[in-house]
Amino acid sequence: MKTDELIINMGPVHPSTHGVLRFKLTMDGEIIKKCEVVMGYLHRGTEKLGEMKTYLQFVPYTDRLDYISAFPNNYAYVKAVEEIAGIEVPLRAEYIRVLTLELNRIVNHLVMLGSLLLDLGASTMIMYGFRERENALQLFEMLCGARMTFNYIRPGGVREDMPEGFIPKLNEFIKDMEKRIDDYEQLISGNEIFLGRMKGIGVMSAQDAINYGMTGPSLRGHGVNYDIRKIEPYSVYPDIDFKACMHDGCDSFARYMVRIDEMRESLHILRQVVDAMPEGKAITYAKYGIAPITGAPTAASTYFPRIFAPPPGEVYSRIEAPKGELGFYIVSDGTIKPYRIKIRSPSFCNLTAIPKMVEGLMIPDLIAAFGTIDVVLGDVDR
Amino acid sequence: MNPAEEIKQLFPDSVLSTGLQMNKPLAIIKKEELLKVAQKAKEMGFDHLSVITGIDYGSRFEVVYNFFSYIKKQNLVLKVVLGHENPEVDSLESLWKGADWLERETYDLVGIKFSGHPNLKRILLPEGWIGHPLRKDYDMSIDQFVTIGEDGEDVVSTDGSNLLRK
Repeated sequence: MKTDELIINMGPVHPSTHGVLRFKLTMDGEIIKKCEVVMGYLHRGTEKLGEMKTYLQFVPYTDRLDYISAFPNNYAYVKAVEEIAGIEVPLRAEYIRVLTLELNRIVNHLVMLGSLLLDLGASTMIMYGFRERENALQLFEMLCGARMTFNYIRPGGVREDMPEGFIPKLNEFIKDMEKRIDDYEQLISGNEIFLGRMKGIGVMSAQDAINYGMTGPSLRGHGVNYDIRKIEPYSVYPDIDFKACMHDGCDSFARYMVRIDEMRESLHILRQVVDAMPEGKAITYAKYGIAPITGAPTAASTYFPRIFAPPPGEVYSRIEAPKGELGFYIVSDGTIKPYRIKIRSPSFCNLTAIPKMVEGLMIPDLIAAFGTIDVVLGDVDR
Repeated sequence: MNPAEEIKQLFPDSVLSTGLQMNKPLAIIKKEELLKVAQKAKEMGFDHLSVITGIDYGSRFEVVYNFFSYIKKQNLVLKVVLGHENPEVDSLESLWKGADWLERETYDLVGIKFSGHPNLKRILLPEGWIGHPLRKDYDMSIDQFVTIGEDGEDVVSTDGSNLLRK
């Protein structure tokens, strides 16, 4: 029988692409022969905008990259700026930052689990995930007034100290969350249909995963014990006891399990952070070229410099964001605006592996594998 | 030993200078020799290509490659300097598959060509877009309108004619 290859467009608007992304699939019957990824529908030119803003003005733009987990975006950018400008950060601010980062990691994985299960046709998990996420978002709102776009971590510290009553609420959340993760495991991890859709699907060798530039939880599902918090420790992570979660199944299920373990590990970190939270200031002054804003300084400007000019130089600084290695490459020419900002986004680089990963699979498996890579399109297109 | 110095010892003619990018070892490579040096870097254990950055300095372009070694837990930065007219450098796609999209992105936004790349076309912006936005001389006053054509491919115009339904 004579058969022809069929080209199918999946997206740009498709419920399981988590945003506007298009797969151009060359199909042989039900089997994917070739997968081409077409992106850019959400491209906002963030890097170009960065060249036109002062260092501080760019912080809110980083919120909009990976909008599910904005704290790590804030922090990755701010860390690069602090490195290039030589800004010191008070210890309390670092602890508050780690608190937000880990809380955001849990939120990110809840959304990832919810949408993954929804893509597979199970709608329970997204309700559960978003229920717990709501509690976390209320904590974020308490902290900085925003639920998703925080603009909270600033060069030299955080915008303001934690409000009263935050820690008790956080403790409640941690206590609640512990039980919930066990519930999720009972609901999902042993489910036969789920296992059938996940185990042995989207397989890629560890070597390939590294070669394709995968990072973060997606890579740790391939048995590579690689966590930037461990190998290039930043902030107060060296003082905290935690382990990099790793599974060596190399398939979708292993990548899912890493997320479950990471949520537990994040809770473990949160508990330590709450116990060790030091007293002191939550924001400091920059050392370099603090130019006062024109006009009368407001209350805010006495707390941190609005405009500063780091010395000329280049820096590439990276952190372990919930989705993988998030890095900012900043070139300073000694003026108040960055000369060049390059964003190394984890979603973009992890997505590189998808065409290879799904060759020979069927479309529903593409959706499952794509779900476990955990991509946010704001982060891919920038 | 510092991997940048190691590379300089192995290829004294290919390395223009060594230094530091903040605290990461940096080697500036002759652009013709990049592929050879990168091959060696991969053999030295630098299996993770973190990021490729293209920078427009007005009179020249720089392309910066940030590597990391999972085995040695070391960083390495390679840099090539290109002339401003028709910047072109060898593609590293054959060594690191992750370079595929990173190079396409650099081509798309900065306009640096990577010779030997199997599929060097725009990735974030649609085909037909005028100019490379991250160049310093990019003209931001030109309006460009993008729609999806009947075959699913993007159509770009500067007068908005593609926005009207026929």
